[in-house]
Amino acid sequence: MKGRYEDENLTWIPLLIVGIFLLPFMLKGITYSYKYYLFVLNMVGIYIILTVGLDLLSGYTGLISLGHSAFLAIGAYTSAILVDQVGIPFILSLVISPLIVGIFGFLIGFPALRITGMYLGLTTMGFGFIVKRLIIALRVWTKGAGGLEVSPPVIFGFTFNSDWDNYFLIFTCAIIAVVVGRRIGKSKIGRALMAIRDSEQAAEATGVHLAKYKMLAFFISGLFAGFAGALFAHTNHFISTDHFDIILSIYFIIMILVGGVSSIYGAVLGTLFIVLLDYLFVPELKDLIHGVFNIEGGDIQSLLFGLIMFLFIIFQPTGLYGMWIKMKIYWKLFPFNPKKRLI
Amino acid sequence: METFIGLIQESISGIALGSIYALIALGFTLIYKATEVVNFAQGELMMVGAYVNFYFVTTFMTQNGEPTVGIFLIAFAGSIIFAFVFGWVLDWVINRPLKDEPIFSVIMATISLSIILRALVAMIAGPMSLIPYSPFGNKILSINGIIISMLDLSIIISAIILVILFYYFFNKTKWGVAMQATSEDPVAAQLMGIPVKRVYGLVWIFSALVATISGILLAPRMSLLDTSMGFLGLKAFPAAVLGGFGSITGAIVGGIIMGVIETISMGTLSYHFGWIKEMNDIIVWIVLIAVLMVKPDGLFGEEKVKKV
Repeated sequence: MKGRYEDENLTWIPLLIVGIFLLPFMLKGITYSYKYYLFVLNMVGIYIILTVGLDLLSGYTGLISLGHSAFLAIGAYTSAILVDQVGIPFILSLVISPLIVGIFGFLIGFPALRITGMYLGLTTMGFGFIVKRLIIALRVWTKGAGGLEVSPPVIFGFTFNSDWDNYFLIFTCAIIAVVVGRRIGKSKIGRALMAIRDSEQAAEATGVHLAKYKMLAFFISGLFAGFAGALFAHTNHFISTDHFDIILSIYFIIMILVGGVSSIYGAVLGTLFIVLLDYLFVPELKDLIHGVFNIEGGDIQSLLFGLIMFLFIIFQPTGLYGMWIKMKIYWKLFPFNPKKRLI
Repeated sequence: METFIGLIQESISGIALGSIYALIALGFTLIYKATEVVNFAQGELMMVGAYVNFYFVTTFMTQNGEPTVGIFLIAFAGSIIFAFVFGWVLDWVINRPLKDEPIFSVIMATISLSIILRALVAMIAGPMSLIPYSPFGNKILSINGIIISMLDLSIIISAIILVILFYYFFNKTKWGVAMQATSEDPVAAQLMGIPVKRVYGLVWIFSALVATISGILLAPRMSLLDTSMGFLGLKAFPAAVLGGFGSITGAIVGGIIMGVIETISMGTLSYHFGWIKEMNDIIVWIVLIAVLMVKPDGLFGEEKVKKV
């Protein structure tokens, strides 16, 4: 089976989807602490939805956003307020909240028409700070810095109560997000966005409406972030401003960088890599080091995380996806590999 | 009249805070001009400098008893030497391996560096906040009812001396001119026989030096020293953008204006208008977005013309 638009093998996709839905059963069979693993995987799923959107913005269009945790926050709070205080059903909120966040993305898109690069990164970072402050200031609805309790998601009378139920909900949404993201990336919009990234002037000269497509990129990215936010609020049952720190936005950018910029699968891989590193591998490593050296206190976890990230960027600046491409080329040419590096 | 005196006091205090912003902004403007890399770890470099200085002061203090100005000066010299080594190491660790990689990767490397530095300092120094020593104590100067703290005054004077020194270095010495040439056009500079790699190393050393000095100046003003001091470095970005990113004059002027705006909004404006209190810690970011909307090149930035 070949993909319609590109020369790509798609036979493994159904197997992968079946594998994703069988994974919780396998985990339950293997370990007793499967609930924690499911919690981590749910985090991966939610972040995948967001990073796919972020990749369309930062990877495809080249507009760096350091404020995506703010979009996540707006999505989460909007959905929580709509469902619990206005009384809209969850499934409808899953449509309305992304649209509202998309409009916020649209608003942030206005300055993006005039500025690029680091300036845009700083603007979006400032937007992140402002949103965080605004959430605390609007304490009538958001309960301020104390945080907000959120009801679990209910779809057609079925309540998703545990991480086990949430897993299926989140990964259904994540698969939809990845497919939609890839389709957008391969469509006319995706190509226009890539043209803007490579050269704004050249893109405009060939008939790409710059303002329209930049705004569209922000809108689409906002939609994905809002979708992730709504899911995050209801599956986490509790949200506060601490969940949407500025450092989280930086983690998102690191995720798409590690995965390899401007590739949707890269964003998925990177998210998986970073979240598993942060939640599973680094704590294990920390225990190991504590066992050997007996260091007292200190934030050794973020030290290890930073160190691994640092080494990864120094030695593998093209990311996981770039590594994969390199390996593929290596095996294709296997006995006749040239001595020098290809990429 | 009361309000007027208050405003003057706040302005002076704001200029002191702004001088710190200006020094941090100067640090990353130097790197940005030379290598086009935005160093997100500048605030953390400042924090490391403050901690190292504190370490030196306490080490000498335990041998000699009470802290005096002499001990402070010895510690200061020690910190300067440390900053030299630190900047040189950073050049070898970050700048050289990532020279030809996309800017994106280098920025991520500086961000991971900031995570590492924050965690490392917290691990070595312990989780407790420290009380830094200042050679100027808590003295107060009073002129016609306007009260100025000696600490603020010392910060302003040190910043002025530093800026004059830098100005002299950049415009009158051989290495300074080489640095200017490199930031103008690296390839042409290399063809003229300037050792570009060594100049880059010098740039990183310089920015570590500026960061360390600003850390030492700022630490007594915060009255408590902990790792969150690094986040202050983020506020220097809007300051630099206000002045015009990549312009050294802009970094200094923008920093001072931002410091004054922040202090006045925290003082007089919050006293008279209640709602300003809600947005004290985001006022710099609001100013940033306003500046970018109205005049993206800042006060002193040059307008860039891009060709296809």
